[in-house]
Amino acid sequence: MKILAIETSCDDTCAAVLNNDRVLSSVVSTQISFHKKFGGVVPNIAKEKHKEFIDPCVKKALKMAGLTMKDIDVLAVTYGPGLAVALEVGIIKIKELAREYNKPVIAVNHLEGHLLSPFLKNSEGKIYSNIKPKFPFISLIISGGHTELVLVEGIGKYKLIGQTLDDAAGEAFDKVARLLKLGYPGGPLISKVAEKGDREKYDLVRPMIHSKDFNFSFSGLKTACLLSLRKIYASKSAKNDGEMISFSTSSEYFDSKNMFFTKKEISDFAASFEEAVADVLVTKLAKAVAKYKVKHVSIGGGVCANLYIRKRLRKQFEKAGVDVAMPKTRFCTDNAGMIGIVAYHKAKRKEFLKDVMKLDRDPILNFK
Amino acid sequence: MQILKLKGNKAKVISVAIKTLNAGGIIIYPTETCYGLGVDATNQDAVNKLISYKTFRDDKPISVAVTDRKMAEKYVKLNATAKNLYKEYLPGPFTIVSKGKGKVANGVESNTKTLGVRIPKYDFMLELTKVFGKPITATSANVSYKKTPYCVKDILTHTSEKQQALIDLIIDAGKLPKNDPSTVIDTTLDDVNILRQGDIVIRHKHKVITHGEEETRVFGEKLIKNLIEKKLDIPIIIAFQGELGTGKTQMSKGMALALGIKQEITSPTYIISREYKLKKNFVKFVHMDIYKLMEGKEIWDVGLAEMLEEKSLIVIEWAEKVSEIIKDLKGKAFVVWINMYHKSENERIIEYGEFE
Repeated sequence: MKILAIETSCDDTCAAVLNNDRVLSSVVSTQISFHKKFGGVVPNIAKEKHKEFIDPCVKKALKMAGLTMKDIDVLAVTYGPGLAVALEVGIIKIKELAREYNKPVIAVNHLEGHLLSPFLKNSEGKIYSNIKPKFPFISLIISGGHTELVLVEGIGKYKLIGQTLDDAAGEAFDKVARLLKLGYPGGPLISKVAEKGDREKYDLVRPMIHSKDFNFSFSGLKTACLLSLRKIYASKSAKNDGEMISFSTSSEYFDSKNMFFTKKEISDFAASFEEAVADVLVTKLAKAVAKYKVKHVSIGGGVCANLYIRKRLRKQFEKAGVDVAMPKTRFCTDNAGMIGIVAYHKAKRKEFLKDVMKLDRDPILNFK
Repeated sequence: MQILKLKGNKAKVISVAIKTLNAGGIIIYPTETCYGLGVDATNQDAVNKLISYKTFRDDKPISVAVTDRKMAEKYVKLNATAKNLYKEYLPGPFTIVSKGKGKVANGVESNTKTLGVRIPKYDFMLELTKVFGKPITATSANVSYKKTPYCVKDILTHTSEKQQALIDLIIDAGKLPKNDPSTVIDTTLDDVNILRQGDIVIRHKHKVITHGEEETRVFGEKLIKNLIEKKLDIPIIIAFQGELGTGKTQMSKGMALALGIKQEITSPTYIISREYKLKKNFVKFVHMDIYKLMEGKEIWDVGLAEMLEEKSLIVIEWAEKVSEIIKDLKGKAFVVWINMYHKSENERIIEYGEFE
């Protein structure tokens, strides 16, 4: 079964071609938008941008797979969750292709894509993560927009057991970078500088780590960082006599008070913050593993590209005999390959849309 | 195409490289991250040649390598955040994006007139840029997005003859250590002076202090209940100003409760706008965080017109970025401004009122 999948739920336009669950090609717009903008820096949210990129992405994905539209058996598209105007572009495109080439369509939940991403296979049929799904298992989805724990009883059988009550894990990285005045996006920089930092230097609370449920609060961690940084500023600056520092004032304000952090402070703070995130994720996941007595977990989403978090998850579970399936780095962030694998399983169950023209976006779609 | 070994031959390599760059040629050079593709970034013909080389490539946009901050400042405007990053992290594997001064060839700055600058932590490159005295493009010599070039063989085996004909000089420093490509950091979002007090005058201003998240939520809930009682026939905009951690998301949770929304209200920061369908009073509850927008007018691209048409209740975090647009909506939407400040660890000052 040859599948063409499209994903436009946020700021990347993506297309992929799969043969069953084997990825033949996977294209992300930041790779083809040469010299238009700095990829991933200026948010490419505009509907117009997706419209501009979608045709070249589809064309390139087909070309790289060595196929044409004639060879495609099934079309797949993300219909939620995501930014409404962005989702719409992918849906309109899929309707257009379905009409022109008369192909069946599968509508895919973006989160199910992250959930199955560790089980994608390369073109030779080897699972990238080397781990086969063994049901039931727990999936931890950690991205810029989501943080969720899902009980997976079988493919297509999902139960949401916990989620963030406010900010997502990936978002916390960017927001802490904002507090440190590191520019945007701060996530990659935080992970990079944390490598050399002292992970115990700053004592940050781990919100909800001991709560009985499986929910998270990364906004709580962000606020803990804010308070901790205020203390550091207060101790640094004699001029700052009890004044409440507003972190949203311009960077010139910080400059005028000579209140920027040093490289060492940034490294230590980033490392302490990363440690707190890792602690929360590992602890909650371990609790879920114990409660549901599973022998296997899977991780998905942009944050699992973070090497330290990957390491901590492996360390925690492998010694306990729990297999940890993680996607290859390029399938951590948004991509259409993961949409394709969901479509493959849904197609096997014949879950095609009856009337493609009626397909509507669902910006707040989630697991039940 | 000429290939020169760098080892023990630095003086000659620099002189040949300078000649090549001055003649508008393309060089391939080593850095601390990988091999880079360089032309004189101020020479339009050379940049055009580079673009034609790269058209069939999968790659990130063009940034430039300079020798120090002083040289960088001829080409970009550094704000305080950028200056601090230069001080702490350059030279090093980072590309710092700032507002450009329009002094490089067309196609080097991005569409939004920003420019990425590198100061490679690689002595040869620091010396070459210093002698050359102008920025050299610093885009990676990737042959495909899968393969970052760490040796000359990587480049030669993956390029066509046609492409190789465009390369004038390869500076061969052997196999480079496999370091990741540089991390790109945009400092221009910090240019937006977030709290411009005085711009927005709140009429009939009210002030309350909440003690903890629960009180902030309850405040949001009451506010919306009062607005529902007004039975307005136009959309409502709740415009938030307030830094990180003041409880904007908590208050939005209270508002959603008043509207009967059962789903968990989570932060919209990553996707910019999350919308929830409603059964009564309003068609939709839209929760936006527009911090990441480059310019206020991009709010139209996120679908503001459609939201206004459908009689939505729209909550906008970092609304100061769109204050001009909101002012123009007078009569088309009922606007409530809310300013939030930290008073202490748990206390928040909330000022709110209609917009004047």
